[in-house]
Amino acid sequence: MEGAYQQSVLRSNLSVVWNEIVKNNKTLLAYPAILIFWAVFPIFWFIPFILQGEALVGGLQSANFAQITGSGEYIPFIVIGAVLNSYVNTLLYGMGENIRREAYQGTLDYVLAAPCNKAYVLIGKAISESVSSTIFAASQLTISVLLFGMNITLGVMLPVFFITVLLMLGLYGMSLMLAAFSLMYKQSYDLSQTIGYVFYIFAPVRYPTESLPGWAQIFGKLIPLTYALIIIRSFMLLGTDFSAVYTEVIALIIIDAILLLAGFYIFSWMEEKTKKSGTISHH
Amino acid sequence: MNKNKTHRLREVNCPTGLNWSNLKAELKAVWEASIKDWKIEFAYPVSFIRQLISPLIFLMPFLLYGLALIGGRYSENLAELVGNGDMVAFIFTGYIMMGFIGTAVWAMGFSIRRERWFGTLEAIYVTPSSRLGQVLGMALHSTVYQILGTIIQFIVIYFTFGLALKIEGILPAMAIFALMMLALYGFGIVISALGLILKEGWVVSDSLYSIMSILSPVAYPLAVLPTVAQQASYLFPTAPALDGMRSFLIENYQPEVVGNVFLYLIGLGIAWILFGIVVFRLTDVYVRKRGMLTKF
Repeated sequence: MEGAYQQSVLRSNLSVVWNEIVKNNKTLLAYPAILIFWAVFPIFWFIPFILQGEALVGGLQSANFAQITGSGEYIPFIVIGAVLNSYVNTLLYGMGENIRREAYQGTLDYVLAAPCNKAYVLIGKAISESVSSTIFAASQLTISVLLFGMNITLGVMLPVFFITVLLMLGLYGMSLMLAAFSLMYKQSYDLSQTIGYVFYIFAPVRYPTESLPGWAQIFGKLIPLTYALIIIRSFMLLGTDFSAVYTEVIALIIIDAILLLAGFYIFSWMEEKTKKSGTISHH
Repeated sequence: MNKNKTHRLREVNCPTGLNWSNLKAELKAVWEASIKDWKIEFAYPVSFIRQLISPLIFLMPFLLYGLALIGGRYSENLAELVGNGDMVAFIFTGYIMMGFIGTAVWAMGFSIRRERWFGTLEAIYVTPSSRLGQVLGMALHSTVYQILGTIIQFIVIYFTFGLALKIEGILPAMAIFALMMLALYGFGIVISALGLILKEGWVVSDSLYSIMSILSPVAYPLAVLPTVAQQASYLFPTAPALDGMRSFLIENYQPEVVGNVFLYLIGLGIAWILFGIVVFRLTDVYVRKRGMLTKF
């Protein structure tokens, strides 16, 4: 009897996750122009860096870059940085804005009053954001490979995917905090943009962290994107395996665990607080 | 006694036509639209500060990446292409323009869309002033905002990297900048017209911004672009303006655009402004006829 009840609860919760994914994807598919935009246009944002590289070094290899990163090829460095950073753009802004959008559309009250665990609603939102982010990232990577003639070994794609999942987990934690902030203070946009700036400057998105001053390098080590970029570039550009970057992998897992725990705790706390204050549907 | 008295509606003198009084009234409308935007801006101080420093945030990666590539600020290849290899001076003089492209595309393009979001577009549309005046008012606000951001950018870069620019070139560079802004305003008017019609106008704005930023030689000279892209860049004011400004500001800079940059920008500015006004008028009439003004 107890087992059947547990099974039914699990099925209901999974149904919540599934329906949240379906709803978000339906919304996304309703705007095909936006879909195409995210699949293609982020490439245009890093093309200037490739052209800058060509203008400054007059070729596709930089000796100084090779000294710092181990590989003189700056194009794959830039492409990998940009594609992984697109997860930050979509996940970090997406989750906070997803909650906010529910408030705009007048559906947040219903979502929060639904007789289900809100964690599953959030998991559904996070998975749908991850699916769309991965599709966009894959599209950008494919176009880049065709456009810039990058060599990618298919064998490294599995470990790369594993590290991307670890990056996404860390970003979920952060976006949960942003969603919590959005519930209480209604405007998480500026905060998520500011965090995006911090990631952009202190993580090795466009340049190796060695280009930054010492204090900034230490700060960069607190960001999950830094480790994800170091590990994935090692796999894809230097051909290393896990044994060469295991300290970075452990650091990434620890940061993920901290961010996820903090994210869930802060969201539950803010949700309770907002319900008590009666300001859920305010915007 | 009152029965016999004929009541006439009080006449309001609205200046019309091309005269000084009308121009003064339109300029006042432009000014008030700009003031309104500043008031909204100051209502969100965190957003105000974040946007003020964002030009610096987006410039730094270009410089740090350049330093990582060449191991210093001097590039021999850049010197071969444009006559001066100082990467910091080259990128800084280019990047200060990027924000102003954003002003034209985003601030002007989105002025209409934002009013629609706020629910004030209809109210603005029935005021006895030019619709373009509203767009220009918002452009004035964004231009001043961008200038403030550029000053911060300049101070930080000057004290962090040092800048070797020709002081005597500042005045002609500013004249080129003013001419470029004229043409960019024309471009912005076209975008704001698109904002009237398109439901998701930001996709078009952002796409155009992305294309324009590649065609503008901000962090690289035009020579590294494919020939078709080089030719396409002449349709926009940023490429000739950047080249012209650099030739006045950077020592030994060899301009890539041949001819008189001032005359070229004047011609381009007039063409873009006229094109913008025509597109805006046509869109305005189309949207009002179909009652699409408040749809989004």
